Parts: sequence; structure tokens; C-alpha cells
Amino acid sequence: MNEVHDSIPQMIQRTVTVVPEEGLHARPASAFVEAANEYEADLQVGPHEEDPVDARSMLGVTSLGAKGGDELVIYADGEDAEAALDALEDVLSTPEDEFDDE
Amino acid sequence: MSERRFEGTGVTPLSGVGTVRWYDQSVELPDPPAPESVDTDAERDRFEDARAEARDQLQAERERAAEAVGESEAEILDAHVQFLEDPQIVSGVEDAIDGGLPAEHAVEEGFADAIETLAAAGGKMAERTDDLRDIRDRLFRILSDTETVDLADVPEGTVVLAEMVTPSDTAKLDPERVAGFATAKGGRTSHAAIFARSIGIPAVVGVGESLFEIEDGAEVVVDGIEGIVILDPDEETRERASGGRDVEIRTEPVATEDGTEIEVAANLGTLAELDGAAAQGADGIGLFRSEFLFLDRESPPEEDEQFETYVEALDAFPDGRVVVRTLDVGGDKPIPYLEQPEEDNPFLGVRGIRRSLSFDDELFRTQLRALLRAAGVGEGTLSVMFPLVSTVEEVESALATVEEVSDVLDDEDVTHGRPELGVMIETPAAVLMGPELAECLDFFSIGTNDLTQYVMAADRENDDVADLHDPRHPAVLRAIDRSVQAAHAGDAWIGMCGEMAGNPEVTELLVGLGLDELSMSAVTIPDVKANVEATDDETARRVAQRALAATTKSEVIETLSDTQ
Repeated sequence: MNEVHDSIPQMIQRTVTVVPEEGLHARPASAFVEAANEYEADLQVGPHEEDPVDARSMLGVTSLGAKGGDELVIYADGEDAEAALDALEDVLSTPEDEFDDE
Repeated sequence: MSERRFEGTGVTPLSGVGTVRWYDQSVELPDPPAPESVDTDAERDRFEDARAEARDQLQAERERAAEAVGESEAEILDAHVQFLEDPQIVSGVEDAIDGGLPAEHAVEEGFADAIETLAAAGGKMAERTDDLRDIRDRLFRILSDTETVDLADVPEGTVVLAEMVTPSDTAKLDPERVAGFATAKGGRTSHAAIFARSIGIPAVVGVGESLFEIEDGAEVVVDGIEGIVILDPDEETRERASGGRDVEIRTEPVATEDGTEIEVAANLGTLAELDGAAAQGADGIGLFRSEFLFLDRESPPEEDEQFETYVEALDAFPDGRVVVRTLDVGGDKPIPYLEQPEEDNPFLGVRGIRRSLSFDDELFRTQLRALLRAAGVGEGTLSVMFPLVSTVEEVESALATVEEVSDVLDDEDVTHGRPELGVMIETPAAVLMGPELAECLDFFSIGTNDLTQYVMAADRENDDVADLHDPRHPAVLRAIDRSVQAAHAGDAWIGMCGEMAGNPEVTELLVGLGLDELSMSAVTIPDVKANVEATDDETARRVAQRALAATTKSEVIETLSDTQ
């Protein structure tokens, strides 16, 4: 096994199931984009083996048309990649009715 | 020159006359120059600057809208910012600049792609394409340095015409200067309509393409009562429209000369209208159309949001009453997140309480939870009203649901109270079953628009039967009379929240019929309160008796004009 040095950023990915029943649109999509904007890492998202879109793009994220139960792969590249993946996974795992209606 | 009439939907029972100023937001682009003559770096900078300017504008408008119209309207502008910052859209525009287009043409191309992508996503997101067009046009205006009419700074007596107006636009309208406005698009529930009602500007919406035939500088009357715009009005029309309303505003409850108290309340749909209602002297809210909380959004409002809204309304009228109508939707009022079957005849389909007891059981329970909690916390008296009731069983089911919700709140130890419970009287069935309904309820409120439609079998939207759709037909008056008798025999109070209640010409008749409360658009409250104070009970009863004995509508009208 290769030794991975902590300080060298590298691309990591994680597969996540979309929990909100209605899928990744409107409030969940908006929350996803907002979460992505909190991090420095380069973040992309898309279905398995398809071209991902920029996770900071409302247009891109929405156009994935991801439904509840679909699997999405999130790719992160940068210093805070791990934390960003955690945050984005958290958004995708939150049922729709738990989004704050600010 | 003869008058020309343009029909639309009147949204305020006011009319005004003035000089047309078109509020045109569209920008026409010149042909693009040859790609080799485009300075790519300079155009990228222009695009960057335009985005920064758009961001500043949106921020300022958001603050203004939040203050003038309310937070939920302001959130629409947040979505604009999100698209303005969208990396996919931004890079699309930058690529187009790199390909040799000047900034404005690159914006056109980049946004065309974005609109197509969003439209292809389908469903609810497709409706957001209008947001993208708004942002695109804003960038066009900034890039081309186009002066638009500043709505906050038009001369007095201006009638604003527009294809449509956004929440940020309406927030700028000054009722002191704007004599009225009319739009080609939009309906009674559009942002513009709600805002016009709250600040009392004569307004007609949904006129259609023909509105564009009216030119800048023309003189028009905006008649929000009839829902028409009149071009080149003659002397008489003009005078009628500008007829000064010089009525004192009475903030205290009023009574007839003989001391019969009549509650005069306001109909409204949003909290933004609360101040306007209080300013006109409303004693309370006689019809809070809760469906406005559910429209123009992508998911239903949560319990807490509803709770806070109802409490705010109750706190605005500490000595008054707030009558909240539970969610009243049907096939004619589409809501994207609700299951709504295709119906051949939505006015006779699953709507009002029928939906609450079937498709919308969950929503209904959430709304009742919010209402019961508000009843325990808010200052004023809360009354909950179920719409479109036609059977006693429906009322029994609704009341049983209220009990269940109350039990759950008890178990959870959540503070709540018991609101007054009542129904809208809108169907002939409810009129006929009035005595039995009054037995189990605290109040009735007559919705004359629907009651007239169902009693007369005349579509309220169909101009060809407009003569039939008139509450002054004796059949409708007798239905009202019967409902009043039933309510009072069953110790229930009875109000009226249809348009008839706000018509000052029939105040005496309505008092004579025995109504305890009249609820209307806020702007007519001062007139109705003045007429209540001028009413003599005995005369009013006589007018009512004669109107009830009439054979035809024209006899009723004659009776009413005799006594004026």
C-alpha cells in the first residue's frame, strides 16, 4: 500500500444515495450548492461513470435530475476535500422535510 | 375620440385616471461585430463588472422587498443571486466571449443554453426559467446602459403599464404618485396584485397582448372594480374614476344609529397586507386566505412557519378576531407539489374541504396543528373556517380531525387553544342544511362569489352570464336570509366575506338581513363603516323585507335605489 502524506491534496470520491424523496431539486439542491460553497476544494458530482457537474452550480446540480434513491458520486480535490465530502453527504442524506425554511 | 376598453382582472376595488408610462424591461441587442474586432479581455472585464453591479442591485432590491412586501417575496431574489453566481452559467458566458462575442451577446448565448438545460430538467425547476430570463435582461440593461423608468420617481398621476412586474418593482410603487397600474400578464394572486391591494393602488392585471396597443403618454382610466383599462376616457368616465374618496377612517368598532354593532373586517392573504388593513380601520380579519401561504413555492409551508404567520395576524388585532380559512384549492388553482387530478369541471370537483379530507389529509393536520397552537398564543380571537362545505358529515369529519390534533398536542404537552370553528356558506346544500350545521358550529361566513355562482348556476368567470352572476338576484338574497336565520337560531354568529360585503351600496340591506360581520378588501372599509353608522335598524329591516319579497333582480335594484 502506498503511503499517503496528509498534506498532499489528492482527489477522493464517495458514493452517496440521495435521500430526499423528490430528489435533488429546489431546496435540497440549493442547500447542496450552498454547502459546496463553504469549501475550498474542487467539488464535482454526477452519476456513476458519467461526466460530473460542478457542485457549486445550481444549474448543473439541478440538471442531473437525481431522484430519491439514486446513487451519486461526489468527487473532491483539495485541502479540505474530506470535510467537504462529509458536508455534501450530509445534505444528500437529509430528508426533504428537514430542510430549514428560512 | 371614443373610448376603447381593454378587459383584464381587477385586483383592487379602486379606480384611477392618469397618463401612461410604459415600464419596459426588455432590451434589443444590435448585431454582433466581427469576432476579430472583439477585445476578449475587455469584454470579460465588462461582464465581470456587470455581474458585480447586478449583485449590488439585487441586494438593494431584496432589502426593499423584504421591508415592503415580506421575507417570502424577498427570497425570490435570492434565487436570482444564486444563478448569477452559478459557475456553469458564468463559464458558459466566458467561453462565448472567448469565442469572439461581445459581453451582451455572450450573455444571450450563455443564458440561452442555461434556460434550455433548466427547461429540460422539467417539472418544478422548469418554472425557474423565468428567473434566468430576468437575470439575463438585468445584465443586458447594465451592459447597454439602458435607462429604465424609475418607478419610485414618476410624476404624480402616472399610470404604469408593464408586461409584468416583479416583487422588487412593486415595492417601489408610490401610491401618492401612481394613479394605477395594469399588466399584460398575471392574475389575482400575482405578486403585483397582492401588493396593489395592500397599498391601495387601482390595478388591473392579465389584460393580455392588446395592452401593448396603448402608447406612452396616452390618458387611461384603470378601473379595478370592473377590471378594465379605458383608453381615451370621456369626461364622464374620467370624473367617475377620479371621484375623490373623502371618507373618515374609523379605527373603533362601529354600530348603527340604534346601537347594533357590526364588525367590519378585512379580507387578506398575506401578512404584508396587515398594516394596510389596520390603517383602513379594520376591526379584525374576516377572511385570511391561507392558500396564499401555499402558492408560488415548491413545497408546503411547515408547521412553524404557519404558526408564526397566524400568531402575527392575531397579535395585529389584540381586541379583534382573525378568521383563517383552511387551505382552499382546487383544479383551478394549481399548486406544483399537490396531487391534482385532471377534472372536467374543477368548480364542481375535489376542492376546499373535500381535498382536506382526502388528498391533503396530512397538510390539513399540519395546518390545524399550527392553528391550534396559534390559538393558544396569539392575542386576538382565532376562528377557523372550512371552505366549500356541502354536508354535515364533512363538518363532523373536520371537527373530529380538530379533536384528534388537539389530543396529540395534549399528549405532546404543546401549548394550544381552542379556536372558534365555522364554515363558509358557499353551496346551496350548506344553505339548506344551515340549521343542522349551526348546531355544531360557532359561526358561518357567507362567500357570496361562490354562493352566487352555485345558486344561479352561473360561472363567475364567464362574461356571457355575468348578469346572472349577481348577488342581488332574489334567489341569492333568500339564500342569505335563510343562512342568517339558521345561524341565529343555532346561537352562531354570521358574517359575509364575499365581494358583496364590500359594496357600500348594499350595506343597509346587509344590516337589515341581520349579518353580524362584514369582511372586505381593506380599501372599502371606511365607506362601509360610514354607512353602518348612518343606518337606522328599522329602515334597514324594511329594505331587506322588500328585497326578499322581490320577484326580479330589477325590483331589488329599484328597492335599493329608492332608499338611497
